[in-house]
Amino acid sequence: MIIKSLTTAWNRFFFAEQSPTPIALFRIAYGTAVIATLWLLRPDWLAWYGPHAWISLPTMQALEPGRRLNLFTVIPQSDAWINGLFWAFLGSAMLLTIGLLTRINAVVVFLCLTSIQQRNLFILHGGDTFLRVTGFFLIFAPAGAAFSVDRLIRIWRGKEGMCVRLRSPWAQRMIQIQLALLYLTSFCWKLKGSAWLQGTALFYVYHLDALKRFPVPGWLLNPAMLKVGTWSAMALEFSLGVLIWVKDLRYILLALGLLFHLSLEYSLNIPMFQWDVLSAYILFVDPADITRACEWIRRRTSGKSGKSLASALL
Amino acid sequence: MRKETYSNRVQLDRAKRVTINLFLGFHILFIACWCLPLDTALVTLFRNLVRPYFVWAGLFQSWDTFAPTPWSANSYVQAIVVYQDGSRKIWLFPRMEQLSLRERYFKERYRKFAENLQNDRNDALWPDVARYIARANSTAANPAKTVILVQESSVITPGAQGSYRPEPWDQHVLYGYGVKPEDLR
Repeated sequence: MIIKSLTTAWNRFFFAEQSPTPIALFRIAYGTAVIATLWLLRPDWLAWYGPHAWISLPTMQALEPGRRLNLFTVIPQSDAWINGLFWAFLGSAMLLTIGLLTRINAVVVFLCLTSIQQRNLFILHGGDTFLRVTGFFLIFAPAGAAFSVDRLIRIWRGKEGMCVRLRSPWAQRMIQIQLALLYLTSFCWKLKGSAWLQGTALFYVYHLDALKRFPVPGWLLNPAMLKVGTWSAMALEFSLGVLIWVKDLRYILLALGLLFHLSLEYSLNIPMFQWDVLSAYILFVDPADITRACEWIRRRTSGKSGKSLASALL
Repeated sequence: MRKETYSNRVQLDRAKRVTINLFLGFHILFIACWCLPLDTALVTLFRNLVRPYFVWAGLFQSWDTFAPTPWSANSYVQAIVVYQDGSRKIWLFPRMEQLSLRERYFKERYRKFAENLQNDRNDALWPDVARYIARANSTAANPAKTVILVQESSVITPGAQGSYRPEPWDQHVLYGYGVKPEDLR
């Protein structure tokens, strides 16, 4: 009996068909995050990954042995080839963002992203890891089924109507699980640290000069407030890891998570990390709410030029 | 004929569903085992079993930023470059606190890299880094002869009522490297 109800719940969670609009919006946010990451790296493409980079390819392979998906091990080690790889990567990320040849570009983006990370594992932050891991599952998702050039082409060829076809969301669920695990794991690690349990951890974080971005008001740095902040961060990470699956709490937690990441974006200099993680929040939004938002936008744009394009996209 | 095609399709769908379920179960179980900080014998065994696949596919991950203990010192890395003619130069990794907002966005990777360089477990990086600094700071007329990597650090200590007064900076030599002519090519 229990096994049967578990099986039913599993099947409903992973396979009950739903609108692919959340995963399509995630694709756009994800692609934009990848483009931004590449753009921020642009001045140092060759310094980090070139033939005379900070860390040579043999050193990297010796330090992190094992077979790895890494295009740098198969392309010639010259400036031209490495720049070419990056431009191809950037182009593919742009195509993924607009949803043209979506599946192929999801594979290419994942392959290139994994390669540049494997080439130098010593300059990565959590946001990079999150993009890599979610990129793997994005390959399997119907990410081009909505809000994409692929869909416009299918409509134009008469292969698809104006209604977006429902799809099985199992790949989307894996990205959601990955996000929840990120928070839950962070919470578990913090449980192992006395500074977190005593409520003093944020004192150290906010006094790391290299991490400061904009000034934090002094009253937030007094011991009582730092305790509240430290413990609130832990409580929120636990909630986003576990309670996010409770439907009634979901939007409140997403709003709190958004505020949490925006406050970190303001105060700490870890470019892109917050946006990389926030990009996956869209996957927790009910497709019906996205449809309502699209309806609202469609109504606002009706009567203007490009109406049919907006209708097809939204 | 039609009935046969339908039966084939059902079988194919069933096989597809089974494959996806195996894929999901495998990844959920092993990703959780990989990243959750549990040190039981079974979890360790699972991690070791799945390591080659995770390393290959890029599914390895850790979510321990600022945990279990946040860094409790401000620090940076500098290099002392000694030239053939005996002169010296101090070369600094870009320090975020000295950069503009725009530069910090572009140069943050250097902060992370310098942070990793200070970890003794990553000492195998030091020769490559010393060579890079030697190349970047040499001229044909006056090549670098020695590069010394130095860590500067200042401990963060909470004062009374949560006040903070920066502690003096400590110097710690990480590595010294004698530059060879071929390093500069």
